[in-house]
Amino acid sequence: MTALDYVLAGVLAVIHGPEAFTLLGFPVSITVLMVVAGFFAGIVVGATPGLGQVIALAISLPILISIFGFNASALLPVMGFMIGIMKGSTVGGAVPAILFNTPGTPDSYMTTLDGYPMTRNGQAQKALRVAHFSSVSGDTFSDICLFVFAPSLAILVERYLDLPEKTALIILSLSFIAVVVGRSPAKGLAAAALGLFFVYVGTGEDFHPRLSLNAPALADGIPITAAVIGVLVIGSIFSELEKLWREKSTAGTITATSQSGDGRLHWTDIRRIAPYIGRSAVIGTAIGALPGIGSTLAATLGYASGSAFHRRRKAPDEPDFGKGAMQGIAATEAANSSVAGANLIPVLSLGIPGNTAAVFLVLAADSIGGFNPGPGVFRFTSDVNPELVIAFGLFTTMVIANILNWTVGGVFMRCMGIMIRIPRQFLLPVVLLLTFASLYVQQTSMAMIGFALFFGALGYLMIKLGVSPLPFVIAFVLGRQLESTARQAFSATGGDPFFLFSSWIAVTFMAGAVAIIVITIRRRSKSA
Amino acid sequence: MTRLLKATAMALGLAAAASSSLAADWTPPGPVKMIIAFRAGGGADTQARLIAEELEARHGWKIIPEQVTGKGGINAALALKDEPADGTAIAILVTETLGYNMVAAKGSGLSPSDFTGLTTTAGFQMGIVSKADSGYKTLADVFEAAKGGAEIRFGVMSPRLADLAYVVGRENGADFNIISVQGGKAVLDGVNAGDMDVGFMAGIQAKGVAAGDLVNLASVLSAPLVQTADAPTLDAFGAEYNADGHFVFVGPANMDAAAADAISTAIAEIVSDPGTKAGGMIKKAFGGSVVIAGDQLNSILTAGYDGAGKLMADVAN
Repeated sequence: MTALDYVLAGVLAVIHGPEAFTLLGFPVSITVLMVVAGFFAGIVVGATPGLGQVIALAISLPILISIFGFNASALLPVMGFMIGIMKGSTVGGAVPAILFNTPGTPDSYMTTLDGYPMTRNGQAQKALRVAHFSSVSGDTFSDICLFVFAPSLAILVERYLDLPEKTALIILSLSFIAVVVGRSPAKGLAAAALGLFFVYVGTGEDFHPRLSLNAPALADGIPITAAVIGVLVIGSIFSELEKLWREKSTAGTITATSQSGDGRLHWTDIRRIAPYIGRSAVIGTAIGALPGIGSTLAATLGYASGSAFHRRRKAPDEPDFGKGAMQGIAATEAANSSVAGANLIPVLSLGIPGNTAAVFLVLAADSIGGFNPGPGVFRFTSDVNPELVIAFGLFTTMVIANILNWTVGGVFMRCMGIMIRIPRQFLLPVVLLLTFASLYVQQTSMAMIGFALFFGALGYLMIKLGVSPLPFVIAFVLGRQLESTARQAFSATGGDPFFLFSSWIAVTFMAGAVAIIVITIRRRSKSA
Repeated sequence: MTRLLKATAMALGLAAAASSSLAADWTPPGPVKMIIAFRAGGGADTQARLIAEELEARHGWKIIPEQVTGKGGINAALALKDEPADGTAIAILVTETLGYNMVAAKGSGLSPSDFTGLTTTAGFQMGIVSKADSGYKTLADVFEAAKGGAEIRFGVMSPRLADLAYVVGRENGADFNIISVQGGKAVLDGVNAGDMDVGFMAGIQAKGVAAGDLVNLASVLSAPLVQTADAPTLDAFGAEYNADGHFVFVGPANMDAAAADAISTAIAEIVSDPGTKAGGMIKKAFGGSVVIAGDQLNSILTAGYDGAGKLMADVAN
């Protein structure tokens, strides 16, 4: 079979797969149906504050497998649904961030910075349209890169990055995030250190759980979702509730923001946000292609780079980043959405997931069987390589989800905006309850609620003290990986204590990590 | 004499019938908590959940799966230890947890006598695996390369396997750089990505080996691997240890005999039937069920615990 035959076979496997029903005489395959269902479910889940794609994927995978069973024909419908959820929730995730200042996922935290001020200024509809347009553009760009580069790019990245370089890269990413995000590099570094401290409770390789004070609930570490959602979502809900309370006690009532303007995205708007989308899409795609570095970092880098660009280019009457600039939403959403497609490059060509959503795709492939993500997938053999057909089938499901996204996704997403009409004093407690419920169902353990409350209080304190919670979250998410990669690099180099300086790439990354801290502190102290 | 034999046979038959009818009559006094020591979504977890589903369907018992992961199953064992012994709490672990890991986790104070062995469900097809394009055909080639000065990175997923890799290397004049990771999937990823040269894999390599991407260089079991029968076992390389192991269901110590019997029989029937979802999955993922129960299981668990110290002492020397 030639390459073109494989592409065709993949498309046909999706379109002409087992039939679900016929619509106007045309058979609709079960895979297409599952992509559509997953996509709309994803938007709803993403748009519901407190829920997110990880929770949705975690709940749906066991259900889907029990419906479709363990044979190769289950792969495309199950993974199609999951890709639908990933695409839908990425778009939907901007809704609570923009409307309620509560990011549904860590990725959309940066969206709150400009999205919520726009809502407060009465431009919620416009902010949603900017988010949708940027997200879909970034996603489509990333998917095209995936289709073109998947067979070769990640293999090249892997060839040049050995374990010491990967460790150095994580350190560089952490120091970059810590000092660049937020107003004070010192506070950022402190937040990152705190994140590392908490993630190292109960983990490690020894049989005795470290730092756990012999508490069984801490023996296997603090659940990532409880800590991340606690700091990001619950912390900001606490802070919002406090604001409402203050508003009421000073003014006697809680005022609702009235929406103004036509809320449409005009051609001039698109021209203004296009450069930001372009930069962020490239950043997101590049980061997505690196195994193990997820969309939160991409969103942050996209925002930071967009912010620097905006300072140089903005018109005098335009708002700054963080004050309701639509370019801020565009930069974040394009970056975090463009990770999704590129993230499948290391998954499909090496079997290494770059983010949690990709982990679930690998789990699905593993549990069902018949598809073994790894170097074997992209072998263009003359006799049929069924795994390659599945890979092109997956690309087809992504194209279908993108078409849905461009056509009906925006309308459906803005329908979710109806939630803005619900008074916040009623909505926020519901969101809080939903968040607790979604955390509880993950492990059916009250310890999750305890963790969430603790980290919610911590997140609230960070907001009060003007510390950005993002370095904490990134440090928490990358902490375990940092430790395990460092341990592996140490072992792999035969116990070399200077493994971080064992190659020029690693030395460059480490020098970059120090330089970014020094330069940022100097700049800030000069401008202060 | 014949009469005596007949009487004995009859007595044994009656006892067996009584015990099986006791088992058939047994119903749990409440919902059964099934502690799963493996991460959600993986093969081991899926196996446990499918067994739970089938137990509910066949016997009408209410099973509540609960994930307690970490520390090589020690966290799960600690969670099970003080649960009631009336059949309302069981756990699925690997035999290594009750052997090497309990000896190594000194602070936990656990030993196999704190548990009642119920039944194994499947074994591991543990091999030492490399990528096909590495050029290694057997483990001897790896030793040759190491002696020639090549740095060999060896991926392992437990402290016991790290000890084993060290001993095998030592006996053959090779000083491996042993990289410890979490789970066999991480070893597979490491080998595929080129971060490791060789590694232990417990069945996850099957598809890669079948496709010709991976090679089983040696069997780490006491018997040859089903998939690559000509790969030598470790005793061919002067190592007296192996990594024989199984998934095993256990209950707390001194478990009610009727409950233990009923649960182990019910699980054994499900995993041995490839027509069930659980049985089908086990056949696909682990090469078929392996059911060991009763005294034979208890002696395997005790031997694993007693033998662990020997490997540790060997490494320490």
